[in-house]
Amino acid sequence: MKEFNVAGSNISLALFTDVSNSRELLDSIQAGTLEPEVALMNASLIPDVFPVLAAAYNALIAKSRDSLTTRTLHSELVYNYSGSKHITESLKRFGISDKTTYILAVRFGASSDEMKDVAKLIKGKEVDLGELETKADEIQIQKHYKITSQELAISSLSNAITCRIAVRDAL
Amino acid sequence: MEIDQEQIESFGVLLKQGAEARIFESDFVGRRSIVKNRFSKKYRHPALDSKLTLRRLNAEARCMTKARKLGVPTPVLYAIDPLLHTLTFEFVEGKAVKDILLDFGLYGINEELMNELATQIGVAIGKLHDGGLIHGDLTTSNMIIREGTNQLVLIDFGLSFTSTIPEDKAVDLYVLERALLSMHSSCGNVMDIILAAYRKSSKQWSSTMNKLAQVRLRGRKRTMVG
Repeated sequence: MKEFNVAGSNISLALFTDVSNSRELLDSIQAGTLEPEVALMNASLIPDVFPVLAAAYNALIAKSRDSLTTRTLHSELVYNYSGSKHITESLKRFGISDKTTYILAVRFGASSDEMKDVAKLIKGKEVDLGELETKADEIQIQKHYKITSQELAISSLSNAITCRIAVRDAL
Repeated sequence: MEIDQEQIESFGVLLKQGAEARIFESDFVGRRSIVKNRFSKKYRHPALDSKLTLRRLNAEARCMTKARKLGVPTPVLYAIDPLLHTLTFEFVEGKAVKDILLDFGLYGINEELMNELATQIGVAIGKLHDGGLIHGDLTTSNMIIREGTNQLVLIDFGLSFTSTIPEDKAVDLYVLERALLSMHSSCGNVMDIILAAYRKSSKQWSSTMNKLAQVRLRGRKRTMVG
């Protein structure tokens, strides 16, 4: 678990492998009964924390202006991270499915007790965030974000994603 | 929305002020960043003002990221704020090409470095133009050599637009030629090296070069008769 400060708010990130109960987690997210509320993301599409923080920044700004596109701050994070304007598709791809075993959990303004609860909720092994880079599925990432080899010659994967997240609303 | 003094201060430390925008240094979730704030022009009608400002803000963001897709390094875009009219992007550590060339004028030319630099400039512009992107303000102060990697980074896409016609590309090159001539005449023929690299990098070089010859005779503006 690691904490970051984004736009004056606290954000806690925790990474889990070998998660066995993704079906139940998905069900409770869709029912809106997940307690504490947390964003669960498909971690294989996340090569670095920075784009997640950039997406979180946008979500917090939208929240402060009452202009969230999705229902909650946590779903907004997943939607923002996708760099696409298609909400359903974004949540499907970058959220978890019932087969996901590798999950990044993100919670805004969490206390340390709450993050312990999150860790209890997810039946898996917690690993260091440094694993993100090695475990990322580069081919899938390139496909979803349409990143060409031309761009990768001058940019890291993480920076290419950050640009797409930032520029989405200008397109 | 009225932007008051307090808000301006919250952007960070003011670095530069231009006619269209203010540039601040700040921090974006732990990384050193630049905030470019397009301020409102009080002499314009408020409705028109916010529309124009927003359109230019979005155009700049699009062009910056499009350039990256074409393989031309530009600062990483971090965030856009359509309400405060700001762009937040990466702080590129390094020296402006302008300062490097001015140093050549003072301390003598480092041929190897200059060739490398001019070649990178030519290749980058070739890539932009082949992708249909016109920078619009190619001057040596809008180019930074990244510290450590010596990679050329193009900045300020505030006047950029997409176009595939040779006229626009030629004018883009002509602006750079004039800028080099007025600022860096002591550096010898940098432009020749740039154009040589451009020819190699751009597939559509010949029509652009023909047009450039015409533009040189008449200047940047087309004569509008009739």
